[in-house]
Amino acid sequence: MANSYIISGFGQGSQADLEDLLDENTILVQRTLRSGQSIHYNGNVVVLGDINPGAEIAATGNIIVMGALRGVVHAGAGGDENAVVMAFHLQPTQLRIANHITRPPDNEAVDPNHPEMARIKDGVVTIESFQTGGERQGKVT
Amino acid sequence: MGEIIVVTSGKGGVGKTTSTANIGTGLATLGHKVALIDTDIGLRNLDVVLGLENRIVFDIVDVVNGSCRLRQALIRDKRLEGLHLLPAAQTKDKTAVNPDQMRELCAELKKEFDYVIIDCPAGIEQGFRNAIAGAEKAVVVTTPEVSAVRDADRIIGLLEAADLREPKLIINRIRPKMVRQGEMMSIEDIIDILAVDLLGIIPEDEMIVITTNRGEAVVLDQNSRSGQAYRNIVRRILGEDVPIINLDEEDGFFKKLKRIIGIK
Ligand SMILES: Nc1ncnc2c1ncn2[C@@H]1O[C@H](COP(=O)(O)OP(=O)(O)OP(=O)(O)O)[C@@H](O)[C@H]1O
Ligand SMILES: [Mg+2]
Repeated sequence: MANSYIISGFGQGSQADLEDLLDENTILVQRTLRSGQSIHYNGNVVVLGDINPGAEIAATGNIIVMGALRGVVHAGAGGDENAVVMAFHLQPTQLRIANHITRPPDNEAVDPNHPEMARIKDGVVTIESFQTGGERQGKVT
Repeated sequence: MGEIIVVTSGKGGVGKTTSTANIGTGLATLGHKVALIDTDIGLRNLDVVLGLENRIVFDIVDVVNGSCRLRQALIRDKRLEGLHLLPAAQTKDKTAVNPDQMRELCAELKKEFDYVIIDCPAGIEQGFRNAIAGAEKAVVVTTPEVSAVRDADRIIGLLEAADLREPKLIINRIRPKMVRQGEMMSIEDIIDILAVDLLGIIPEDEMIVITTNRGEAVVLDQNSRSGQAYRNIVRRILGEDVPIINLDEEDGFFKKLKRIIGIK
């Protein structure tokens, strides 16, 4: 299946140097996504930067953010319930996996200072701390 | 050949016009030749803030239409030799000028002035596109509010897309007491999200309202904190390395008192 991706809000001609196709299923985005910018990708998305409030990523696969995730993300956008979202600071405005939609509880400012991973467990989106070197590491592929 | 700087924000009312007027005035007091362009067509303000409204004969739309020459539309400031204003039109709208015309206009002004400073309207539509078209550098103004910071972030993204890289940030209307009490976003909170260089911080200051209503610039007021903050910004634009003022320190009548009576 051919991979399609739509990246918007970056202006013209800036796509090629922004992200390289890592392999057939993953793109690497080497920049921060600012408010109003979005990435829609058929596969996995790895971001070396932040996802600011007002920015958005939708991927049919996993989403990994090596920075602060403060915007809206949708992993498993094609319906894949095994998709995960991982971030160094997981503080999304809203987080979706497949058909599940979650948001942080109101009135509760959480600032996790360690990597966390969101995935569907027993039919609900759960967030757990993500230890590099731990057993769970193998899950993110 | 001068430098062309656009002052922009996304959100309205955060202090673009105030900053344009004060930076321009501050540069002119130091002997630089400055042209300010008001691109907020239909909602012009910069002339009023500078107290030059009653001198307007021609405006930016007349210039790009060819109804007058650029020189005829430029208004000389009442006090400062080197300060000039190209006013916006009040009875037209943003479509009366296009980005190509702006580029041409900026190139023209750049030949004659050391600094061309463009006051951008709020929003991200044609007024914004006009304002940034001829600019070489950008200053983004925000206030310590979530919505203003969000809009600043959007603007920074759009500036980068337009190849205006590494914009500098002014954080306006800081209230140190509220920040201390955790009721207002701090400088660190804002920089954490926007990840750009800070050009300066301006405290909330009633002297801004007072001087603005008189058609004067607070940067000329030697006693106010906001005037000092704008003078520092001007020096940073000129390439000096001026530390960001610690508003807490400045705040400190009690601090002084404590020091006098020996409590640290
Ligand atoms: N630091 C400050 N302390 C107190 N008042 C301020 C400060 N900065 C700006 N103001 C006031 O806020 C109002 C809005 O400022 P200004 O007109 O500069 O904003 P603007 O971004 O140009 O607005 P617009 O988007 O409508 O063009 C003005 O009345 C101004 O006097
Ligand atoms: Mg204004």
